[in-house]
Amino acid sequence: MSIDVLMPQLGETVAEGKIVAWLKSEGDEVREGDNLFEIETDKVTMEVQAIAAGRLGEIRVKAGDVAKVGAIVAVIGADSGTAAGKPAIESPKAAPALPPARHEPVAMRSPFEEVSTPREIYGRAKGPQGVRITPLARRLIAQNGLDVEAIAMTVSNAGRGKISQSDVRTALAAAPVAASSTLPPSGGVFQLNIIRKRTGERLQKNWQTIPHVFQAIEVDFTGVEAARTGTKEKFKAATGFSLTYLPFIARAACIALRKFPQINAQLTGDSLALASQINLGIAVDLSHNGLVVPVVRNADDLTLPGLAKAIGRQVDKARGGKLTSDDFADGTYSLSNNGAFGTTFTAPIINAPQVAILSTDAIRLRPAMVETAQGAFVAPRLTGMVGQSFDHRAFDGAYSAAFLSHLKTIIEERDWAAELA
Amino acid sequence: MAELTYRDAVTRAIAQEMERDTKVVFLGEDVAKAGGVFKATVGLYERFGGLRVRDTPISEQAILGAAMGAAMTGLRPIAEIMFSDFAAVCFDFIANEFPKLRYMTAGQLGCPLVVRTGNGGGVRFGAQHSQSIENWTMMIPGLKVVAPSSPVDVIGLMAAAVRDDNPVIFHEHKSLYAVKGEVPEGEIVDTLGTAKILRPGKDATIVALALMVPRALEAAQTLATEHGIDCEVIDVRSLVPLDTNTILSSVAKTGRLFTVEENPRLCGWGAEIASIVADEAFWDLDGPIVRITTPHIPLPAADHLEDLALPNAPRIVERISRVMNGSAR
Amino acid sequence: MASKAKVVSTEHLSNDDIGQDVRLEMFRLQVEIRDCEKRANDLFFQNLIKGTSHLSLGQEAVAAGVATAMQPGDKSFCTYRGHAHTLARGVSMEKVLGELMLRDNGLMRGKGGSMHLTSAEHGVMGSYAIIGAHLPIACGAAWRAQYLGEKDVSVCFFGDGTTNIGAFHEALNFAAVWKLPVVFICENNLYMEYTPIGEVTAVEHPAADRASAYGLERIIIDGNDADAVYRTALQAFAKARSGAGPSLIECLTYRHSGHSRADPAKYRPPGELERWLEKDPIKIYRKRLLEFGASQEQIAAIEAESKRKVDAATEVCKAAPPAPLDQLTADVYADGGWSWRN
Repeated sequence: MSIDVLMPQLGETVAEGKIVAWLKSEGDEVREGDNLFEIETDKVTMEVQAIAAGRLGEIRVKAGDVAKVGAIVAVIGADSGTAAGKPAIESPKAAPALPPARHEPVAMRSPFEEVSTPREIYGRAKGPQGVRITPLARRLIAQNGLDVEAIAMTVSNAGRGKISQSDVRTALAAAPVAASSTLPPSGGVFQLNIIRKRTGERLQKNWQTIPHVFQAIEVDFTGVEAARTGTKEKFKAATGFSLTYLPFIARAACIALRKFPQINAQLTGDSLALASQINLGIAVDLSHNGLVVPVVRNADDLTLPGLAKAIGRQVDKARGGKLTSDDFADGTYSLSNNGAFGTTFTAPIINAPQVAILSTDAIRLRPAMVETAQGAFVAPRLTGMVGQSFDHRAFDGAYSAAFLSHLKTIIEERDWAAELA
Repeated sequence: MAELTYRDAVTRAIAQEMERDTKVVFLGEDVAKAGGVFKATVGLYERFGGLRVRDTPISEQAILGAAMGAAMTGLRPIAEIMFSDFAAVCFDFIANEFPKLRYMTAGQLGCPLVVRTGNGGGVRFGAQHSQSIENWTMMIPGLKVVAPSSPVDVIGLMAAAVRDDNPVIFHEHKSLYAVKGEVPEGEIVDTLGTAKILRPGKDATIVALALMVPRALEAAQTLATEHGIDCEVIDVRSLVPLDTNTILSSVAKTGRLFTVEENPRLCGWGAEIASIVADEAFWDLDGPIVRITTPHIPLPAADHLEDLALPNAPRIVERISRVMNGSAR
Repeated sequence: MASKAKVVSTEHLSNDDIGQDVRLEMFRLQVEIRDCEKRANDLFFQNLIKGTSHLSLGQEAVAAGVATAMQPGDKSFCTYRGHAHTLARGVSMEKVLGELMLRDNGLMRGKGGSMHLTSAEHGVMGSYAIIGAHLPIACGAAWRAQYLGEKDVSVCFFGDGTTNIGAFHEALNFAAVWKLPVVFICENNLYMEYTPIGEVTAVEHPAADRASAYGLERIIIDGNDADAVYRTALQAFAKARSGAGPSLIECLTYRHSGHSRADPAKYRPPGELERWLEKDPIKIYRKRLLEFGASQEQIAAIEAESKRKVDAATEVCKAAPPAPLDQLTADVYADGGWSWRN
């Protein structure tokens, strides 16, 4: 067995050393503890002892030469010339990206990005006519599809050199109703805003290319409600977010999707690529001004409270106009929550390249049949329709139905209280 | 509801926690028999006895070291450092020992203690007894840092600090000790890491701490009535953990940010908040972020000079109105 | 032959107040510390131990003697030269070497390193790198015992260099005035890092000659004789447990290697190392054991077992992985996380 003799770490901040002299020659027998060679750095000179016994084989770094700390300077062993020993340095390779910290309930920020820098660029600070534009004004101009030239002209004509949000709001008020949430007078023309226009184009393409099939199943939410009422006040107080039905449904969907992976997939040509992550798109209505679907990434890694917070955050960001392109990327499955106005079921349009989308509608008290040992009785239960539009090219109705059935079982029978503890 | 001074609130806060948990103990210089040089701990010695409320020699390192050793082995001590400037004398414990223990021992040991200290100026004590040092403590990983501005917050945040399992630096303000405020009856427990919006507004966000909070409120009143600028005033209360959500939401609403800080300018706590807002809320800003601070000088003893140095309501009004060009939305 | 000895004062030494079981235990500890520290030295030169390392070669008797006199529940605090004190309280070689090698199986998963060895379950309440910091901390642990009426003693180890720093003086005064159950043990190995202690200290015995300033007894002992250390420690602990307050013990000893791995200790006068090697604590104790009737076989068995343990521990540590990356941000705060904002 041969042992590598290394250039030792001489000082805490020293990176290399010079061998001043070899005190043994190639071929000499050395004992453990014998002085082998003398080294020098800018701080210190010292003798280095052999840490093993054997014959000194090849000397690789000669007297007068410099070597880095940890370099093999010689070999002690039966076979000189063959460094058969494993390298002594066993440090890990350059670190890959840091995985989310497991001890936190929500995979929040990376410690290397403690502030969430927005990725969007809304234009330059220097505008036309030599006016400057504040960041807020630039964002509002871009988001509302306004004519920056016209605003700059107005501001410049008024003898001012800067476009701020008040100028943009003035322009918005004067323009045909582009992004306001008031309905036009009957018979009037309602100009579509940019978000609605872009969304519309995408929806049309998805509707026309994907063979949509819609299926629904009735789900009893009594158990969910029991767990929810117990904790929703505390949850709101602790986090600022409401604990609605949506996180429960989202959590159940994550669990069910792991059993039915073809639903969490992407169709490309003639193959169905199963996604390894579950990144849930949450459809958010922007006060009748368009629909956006921000994504909650790795949703199946989140606990129920964590999912509620993550969904709440994305919804707030959506309503605050603060979503970035990162928020829309990599969705693998979507949820469309339509229950606010009491509808029974909704068949949503699939978000390509996903192959399915879940829809939920009003959850309210309805008469339902409850089977007991004494027979079947009509009882008021909290129920709602949970439906799924799916791409029939990806899988069949039986598969989708089995998924919905499994989802229903999870929602109705899971120990939700335990998840909220 | 009773009216209580800030200093009496300190006493009540400590008493509340000591009453609740026998593991809470208290040590410091002249804190027991004399009731503290600021009279903020009068009566505790008589009520809880000399084993739980202890006078120490003038030994800041021993005071904080002993608090740490006791905290590591099962007690929940409160230690007083009389003037916050003296934190420099025992800074090893604040910077190297308390906050790094849990990390270096991979969670085996922790430091559930509170260091309460008389911070800030306005009392004519001169440069070595008047500085605001909350920024010195904010920058150390592993600590929590709070600075209440009112008697009710003193009690709520002290209770939260004592119950927290991490080392917490509790900056009381010397100029606020005599200030009175409404305090409800019964136990009061607040939450660390939460800022409070004390005055809602829509034109600009003002973030302030401790003594600067009442001054910011006074300035906001003048700005509204005389300049038509409607300011939202946020009392940060907790520098670590920092309630960035409240601040960012406010700036999203108003588009403007001002900080009012008593610490000397460079590396003041407001610089960190300005940086976060300039980064994360860049596209919400309608104008530059402005920090209103004490100049970067040691503080003078002379009263007219000290009053010039610390930000006051007229200076805050002047700065904000000038920057906003006197025009509201 | 096997019963543990009662405490006796040094004036009335009977021939076997300590007992063979205790002696064999103290010998085992010294040998294992020695072998483990030597292995640490070798691993450092193989670049398997990185950063820095402060060895206690030559100072084993203090660690072994005091640890043996301690009871479970007693708390010990030491400096960055703390491997010996950690091993002496029963922490396994694997956990110590693992920590030095910065692996996940180390005592603190590689988060703390050589200078901060801590094992709360063994009462090893930290090794401290800032000179003097742990003296007041030990006072705090002792205050807790006093306040709660618990009977444990806090033991605080430090070097001769510590006696000149402010925290030393604050802690001694504090402990004396509050009559705390804390025992301060100074390992005077003649050098404050690279400088002879005599050149930087106003008195000859850096600890013992300061004792009177705090109303404490002047105690100087041969730190290389585990029996002397053991007896003195027992007396100091008894005093502390009885409520009579702290003690300051100066142990005269010597370190065989440099201050840290970076130090070849060329500042030693010629012959000094050789003279002290004659007074090697293990050499002394081997002779002591034979004098008190232990057999060569018993001694050899202890020494062989120690080598086996060190080799086994080394193999385990070499195969151990480094800590997972999420440890970077773990345990900054009590909730296990690091977050400073919402």
